[in-house]
Amino acid sequence: MANTEHYVVIGNGVAGSEAARHLRQRDSDSRITMVSAGKLLSINRYELPKIFSSSADWRDFLLHPPEYYDEQKISVRRNTWVSHVDPTNKLLMLHHREPLSYSKLLIASGGGRYIPESLNQFKNLIAKFGTYEEAKSVCDALPRRGHMVMLGGDMIGLDLARSLVRNGYKVTVIGEDHLFWPHRVEAEQRQKFVAVLQDMGICVRTDVAITSIQRGDRNRPDRRIILDNNEVIDADVILSFCGLMPSLAFMAGAGVDIERGVLVNPQLRSTDKNIWAAGDVCQIWSPEENQYRFYYGWKNVKKMGRIAAFNMTGADESIDTVQNEKLVTTKSGEIDSPFWQYG
Amino acid sequence: MARTAKQRTDIQIAICGSAGDGTIAAGDILKQAMAKAGYNVIAFDVYPPEIRGFGKCIARARITSEQVYSLKSESDCLISLNDSHAIPHVSEVCKFGTVIYEDTPVSTVGEGAHVSSHLSPAHLPYGVAFREISERITSSARSRNIVAVGYLAGLYDMPAEVFHEVISGKFAGKSKELADSVGAAFDAGFQTGVDTFRLHFDRIGASGGKGKQTDLVMMSGNAAVVRGCLDAGIDAFFGYPITPATTIMEMLAREMPKHSGRLLQTEDEISAIAATIGAGYTGARAATATSGPGLALMTEMMGLGAMAEVPAVAFVSQRGGPSTGMPTKTEQSDLNLAVFGVAGDGQRIVLAPTNVEGCYKCAGKAFEMAEAFQTPVIVLLDLYLSNRYEAVQLPSKNPFAENCSKTPRKNASPAEYNRYKLTSDGVSPRAIPGETGRMHTVTGLEHDERGRPSDQPRIHEAMSVKRHQKLLPALKHPGVTISKRFGDKGVVDVGVLGWGSTFGEILEAMIEARKEGIRCSAMKVVMLSPLPVGPVKAFLDDCNEVLVPELNYEAQFASLVTGATGRPVHRLNRVRGTPMSVGEILDQIRQLVGHSGKIAAE
Repeated sequence: MANTEHYVVIGNGVAGSEAARHLRQRDSDSRITMVSAGKLLSINRYELPKIFSSSADWRDFLLHPPEYYDEQKISVRRNTWVSHVDPTNKLLMLHHREPLSYSKLLIASGGGRYIPESLNQFKNLIAKFGTYEEAKSVCDALPRRGHMVMLGGDMIGLDLARSLVRNGYKVTVIGEDHLFWPHRVEAEQRQKFVAVLQDMGICVRTDVAITSIQRGDRNRPDRRIILDNNEVIDADVILSFCGLMPSLAFMAGAGVDIERGVLVNPQLRSTDKNIWAAGDVCQIWSPEENQYRFYYGWKNVKKMGRIAAFNMTGADESIDTVQNEKLVTTKSGEIDSPFWQYG
Repeated sequence: MARTAKQRTDIQIAICGSAGDGTIAAGDILKQAMAKAGYNVIAFDVYPPEIRGFGKCIARARITSEQVYSLKSESDCLISLNDSHAIPHVSEVCKFGTVIYEDTPVSTVGEGAHVSSHLSPAHLPYGVAFREISERITSSARSRNIVAVGYLAGLYDMPAEVFHEVISGKFAGKSKELADSVGAAFDAGFQTGVDTFRLHFDRIGASGGKGKQTDLVMMSGNAAVVRGCLDAGIDAFFGYPITPATTIMEMLAREMPKHSGRLLQTEDEISAIAATIGAGYTGARAATATSGPGLALMTEMMGLGAMAEVPAVAFVSQRGGPSTGMPTKTEQSDLNLAVFGVAGDGQRIVLAPTNVEGCYKCAGKAFEMAEAFQTPVIVLLDLYLSNRYEAVQLPSKNPFAENCSKTPRKNASPAEYNRYKLTSDGVSPRAIPGETGRMHTVTGLEHDERGRPSDQPRIHEAMSVKRHQKLLPALKHPGVTISKRFGDKGVVDVGVLGWGSTFGEILEAMIEARKEGIRCSAMKVVMLSPLPVGPVKAFLDDCNEVLVPELNYEAQFASLVTGATGRPVHRLNRVRGTPMSVGEILDQIRQLVGHSGKIAAE
């Protein structure tokens, strides 16, 4: 009997891509469609820091070559996004006013940058680093041995910071609230890790707050940061690394339970029986913590993609809600994190 | 971005929309602008049959820094102005090529009806709010085609100023507000393109060191025919509209009054050729233009022209046939009709140019030959050549002779004048009606030297010889290419023999084959009747294998060559209504090398 499923995956990051791969492995006949706002096929954003050291060609970041999608019969709708979801009729509406029906839906739309409310008025002066296009723009804007200022200093940002420092750039991290996010580092430990960062060549300023951000004067670096102690820091590029905000605007009114992310059980199923979620967009019920929480990092995201695909095709697997999330120091004197584990 | 001479440009753009979307107009602006900027441009527009109303339009333009001879089978960029029409052409976009489309349709589209749902994973999508930008800038969606061209220019780093020059010229006769509005729509699209992050690898490089060119003219094959007619001093034109020849009459209707010429749209093709022959009889340089179905109607009068030895020129642009066939599709299937389509042994001259510049030369030279050899001359075009645009450099000095007639001796007595006198070159002195003392008879019947009807065996034989022998010197007519060989000299693995519009693809395939180490030559034959048998035979002698690609089912040119030379050739025939692809010819060349087992490198 012909299988008539149409699996639609919103998002073509690591979670979405991994899900599509396993969906095809487990169901060779059904339709699979990925929807992505980006122009590119799935890329590995965990490798984006390499743009400063080796490759500037987007093809080097592709998770799979174009031929893979043809061979696997996976349709990829790029450069569009979902404007809303209608679970009753199992229908998505794409930005360009084209409906897309589904039988099973996986939301893997990831998270966008989060900018604290106090800095939101300066958001146009703060660059992004979530996609290849954004990373390439930052790379082009940053002169050789230039100065990058990071607001926040979450683990995604610190991963980039260590890569930049290794390549001869100057990096300053400003702020304390989001430093080491999503790790929960106790106060006494925090100073130790800050010192390690300093030893790694990353300048960390936890003692100041930002008053304003301005465009640089002529013949000066492109940005000026005014601190609350009246100190002025010149920067070529400013990035915000204050955690992630799930990209979920399209789910408003869909009737699926959402807190900050899509609320799912450990099998990654949402409150709608035909909708699953995976990656940085979902909050998973943790029986141990008695709350819904996010699980970050390449390994988790990839695992979620696989489990979602399995469960969408009839399996009953659960994510391991107990994980080692400790920030550590390596023998070589650098910090390391399970969120950085990759490959 | 600064352009460097090292950057080689070879980009093919396809714009696809519905009739009324401004598709052809957008393509026209693109090709005119890039030619003005000094690039080589080959362009070909496909449009729906006018007799059927609305339908699909495609404007394709290949923009290069170096000389090329044909369009590519795959485009580097497709712009969709109408998704339902563009979807079948998405597969013609190359790997990592771009597809630019409207991403804010005015209403909901059906699932799978948007062009973005048909992109291959290897395509790069660029959705643009053409309609919204146009409405914001011009208060109307009508300029979305201009926004699209502007976006393309910005995205590919094309020089904006030449587009403005072309747009200004195009709207010169309209209100300033309209011209300004269109210019603003272009600018808005251009800026959007500039602001778009580029993922594609193509961008316009240098124009080949030529810089901005003012002496390059972007024109279609039919426009070149018209220019050739005017430069040759055409006096009269008679025609009946038929695709794809209609634009010849349309353009001449605008231009001939400025040159004291006369043009008449007749009631049908029979009248058109009759009037052309009548005007030729009076000494006027006269022409008609038609397509295959029209030529079929003209065959009887063509016979009269041959028998009465009256100069006349007929431009015949072929389309898919037989009968009404495919009016807006290209084909090369009227060769037999052009060469042989006549009652009796009524040979005439048939020229088939291979490119736009050749259209200009053949048009002008056709009048010279018609006069010099007192015969109808057919210039055989096809839709692909008629509608193809190329950047050409026309000669600064008019290359066409004013009068090529062989006239009677001035002091000859009336009694001595024989209109059909048997001469050593077969061409008789021609008097035009009204010349004192040159009274003669003209008839479609066989006749003697004075023109009086006669069916004497000796006369018919002598006159038949005369009518054929007089045409042979046309093979040495000055200033026009009769045949020409390209590529490797001496003995080659494969020779490709071609005619008409297909020769561009043949040249490209030959060049590619040589890059692969295959010894390869190509020969174009422009004069199909009389056929330059000597040069063709010499070419065949040099080729281990001979390939004859042409756009007809019956291998008409291959049969002509085989019949004239007695040599076998390999035939490659396609009748899809579209130009032959370079890849198909190249594949055949490769196969033939394997077949002969002889490669130069061995």
